[in-house]
Amino acid sequence: MATGTERQGTDRAAFGGVSRLRGVVFRYVTFAASLFGILSLAVLLGYVFWDAFGLETAAPAWYATMVVTVVLPVAGFLLYARRNPLAGRTALELAATATGGVLSGFALVVVLEVIAGPGLWFAYFLAMGVPLGALYLYGRRVEASWTGLAVLGVLVAGPVVGTALLGPLSRIGGFLGGPGVYYLSVIAPTALVARHVVDEYLDGPNGNYVALATLVAPILAAPAIDTVAVLSRSVWLLFFPTLVVPFSIVAGRNLATPGRRVGVAGPLAFALGVGLLAVVPDLLGVAGPSPWFDWQYVTSAPSQTAEQAGLYPAIIGSIFMIVLVALLTLVLGVGAALYLEEYAPSSGPAGAVTQFIRINISNLAGVPSVVYGILGLAVFANTLQFGFGTVATAAFTLSLLILPIVIISAREAIRSVPDSLREASYGMGATRWQTIKNVIMPRAIPGILTGTILALGRAIGETAPLIMIGVATTKFSPPSGLFGKMTAMPMQVFTWSSYPSEAFQHGVVAAGVVTLLVVLLTMNSVAILLRNEFERGDY
Amino acid sequence: MARNEDTMADGESNAGTDERLITTDVTAGLDEESTATTDSSRTVIDARNVDFYYDDVQALDDVSLSIPEGEVTAMIGPSGCGKSTFLRCINRMNDLIDIARFEGELRLRGKDVYDDDVDPVALRRRVGMVFQEPNPFPKSIYDNVAYGRRIQGMDENMDEAVEQALRRAALWDEVSDQLDKSGLDLSGGQQQRLCIARAIAVDPEVILMDEPASALDPIATSKIEDLIEELATEYTVVIVTHNMQQAARISDKTAVFLTGGELVEFGDTDRIFQDPDSDRVEDYITGKFG
Ligand SMILES: Nc1ncnc2c1ncn2[C@@H]1O[C@H](COP(=O)(O)OP(=O)(O)OP(=O)(O)O)[C@@H](O)[C@H]1O
Ligand SMILES: [Mg+2]
Repeated sequence: MATGTERQGTDRAAFGGVSRLRGVVFRYVTFAASLFGILSLAVLLGYVFWDAFGLETAAPAWYATMVVTVVLPVAGFLLYARRNPLAGRTALELAATATGGVLSGFALVVVLEVIAGPGLWFAYFLAMGVPLGALYLYGRRVEASWTGLAVLGVLVAGPVVGTALLGPLSRIGGFLGGPGVYYLSVIAPTALVARHVVDEYLDGPNGNYVALATLVAPILAAPAIDTVAVLSRSVWLLFFPTLVVPFSIVAGRNLATPGRRVGVAGPLAFALGVGLLAVVPDLLGVAGPSPWFDWQYVTSAPSQTAEQAGLYPAIIGSIFMIVLVALLTLVLGVGAALYLEEYAPSSGPAGAVTQFIRINISNLAGVPSVVYGILGLAVFANTLQFGFGTVATAAFTLSLLILPIVIISAREAIRSVPDSLREASYGMGATRWQTIKNVIMPRAIPGILTGTILALGRAIGETAPLIMIGVATTKFSPPSGLFGKMTAMPMQVFTWSSYPSEAFQHGVVAAGVVTLLVVLLTMNSVAILLRNEFERGDY
Repeated sequence: MARNEDTMADGESNAGTDERLITTDVTAGLDEESTATTDSSRTVIDARNVDFYYDDVQALDDVSLSIPEGEVTAMIGPSGCGKSTFLRCINRMNDLIDIARFEGELRLRGKDVYDDDVDPVALRRRVGMVFQEPNPFPKSIYDNVAYGRRIQGMDENMDEAVEQALRRAALWDEVSDQLDKSGLDLSGGQQQRLCIARAIAVDPEVILMDEPASALDPIATSKIEDLIEELATEYTVVIVTHNMQQAARISDKTAVFLTGGELVEFGDTDRIFQDPDSDRVEDYITGKFG
């Protein structure tokens, strides 16, 4: 006992407390830094949105109506969702599916209908999409080792075959017409995917019925669609798989689960509220906002009068360009990263060369973008004769610009796959290709996509290299093809910003910035969805 | 020799995929030579004067030993003495390490596996390996076990093959109703048994095990030991262990390595544990070493 009390005494003396002053100070400094960043961004975005949506023209009564029809119901639902998280999740799911569906529907319409056109799209669909899909289905069933090589073969030969047979193949597409092409190339695969998703992840309906519904519904709905002026049959067929099918599946599943049913109230209240907000102030004669960013803005060409100015040619040009950039950088960047990490020798004289290349790729990532502009001008525009200010020249130049970033992040992702997994695979008698395909890539893809998102974000906002390669600052029609002249959103926005008129500087430019942000966010969310898909799956 | 014919048949039945063809070729080469040396046909692996270096660090020093067919050979020795290194020489896993250098001869059924015409991938399909650390793929349990068969194009009767491999690895009862679960969600010991199931699912001729029981409790360990003894009726098993009792229990032959990558003694397990030639081995076995 005596020793016990003694020890207690000394312990109390020793437990004086440890100073955490530096840690606490550091914590608040980092907090302040984050807060500063977030606040400045918020102020900037608030300013831009205020201008782009012309919010200053709205009367106080309009804001009051908005509070009553939209803000209060939504806030009420959010409060309720705090106590019932399942309802909140349901609402979030529905809202995300709807927003994602609308945005990706637009993306699909722009890429397939506006940029490629049904004929061209169908030619490449036949040359690449069909063989790849067939190989994928076959490979899932049998996992034969030659399917991997065959996929590689199709990826290389497909574009060649498609280009060589472009005439006859696109005549088939022309014969089928836009709706026919999209029915075969988009709706039919969607039915397969829907069947798989429903059978695999949902335990309610039979996948075969869902697939059948997917095939029949768009045809049955066609007469109704014909009565809506802004919707052509082609557009309807492209929005069907991106918006209607996923939304029906998600909504159907949520409605079928008792606990989740209340969650539907949130999005419903929001939709109703927005509808009322569009109608009620008009009836009461209250002035609403006069947004610069509206349907007219994204569908018409630039103009000298601010009210008629639109960003359409630049939107199409930018999307066309960024799709090409994404394809080029993914193929080249991931290929280079795989070579450098998995194949290239790392010892001996050849290893020294590898090391030299690795270091210099990192250096390239820091080279100013004008330098890439000069390179693009010399190599693509002049030497290879891709033309000045064309989509091809711009896409290749921007690909070069972001390739180092993609390679570095892909290498990082590939390197983070633990060596013990490589050993496990090689130890089973796998070849290098089998190891890459089955073990390394599935683990590395999320990381690769993260890096690619950042890099593409940089590419779509670039102007300096585009100016160097002679991209027009204003164009009145979208690019006519791969070698057609183009303009890009940041270029057009920059041009408008130098117009003297107040309406341009504060309205049209702000709307352009919002458009750019919307396109960027759509692009990122597609990549993030893909990434989550790979992270979730136990590959 | 019966085992050889089995392998031939395996090779042929799977010919048809590009990678399998290579295997068949090499198998043919190996078999030819083994018929030439019938007197030593009981020897599966024959190492002669093997030296091994990581850059300029010597990890194996003039190792010679013959591993007999259909028996369990144990490798024991203090940490860092080169047991894993020797094991990884047999299936050429060390090829993956840039700085590694191999000297000497290592024959599998009479054929030097370091000859230029031997494809290490084909070799590893005949010599399976269980690593020191459990390393299941981040895939489902089923896909883990099926992995080797899939990459080798052995697609028939996959379900039965997976079940049989899991049963033999003493894991089936624990996972039979959750084959879709990720292999990484298993406990450490279960993961190690999964890796054993993965290795035996492809029916290799030789199985190399690097401390397969180091992460296991006594019950799972005894299951694994039973499995090893059972495997030895069909396969040749080489096992590294730090556990003397385990080596004494399950092995027929024992190789004792001591620091510096030197093979000090190799012979029948009973003799080594009862009456070793070398004093250093006796000290090590009785725990006086070091
Ligand atoms: N990849 C490597 N690079 C460099 N040296 C290595 C490498 N792997 C092993 N070594 C060295 O080779 C020697 C033998 O290592 P090895 O892994 O074969 O030992 P071990 O007998 O398996 O030991 P343990 O019982 O601890 O697993 C050690 O000195 C080690 O430092
Ligand atoms: Mg070891």
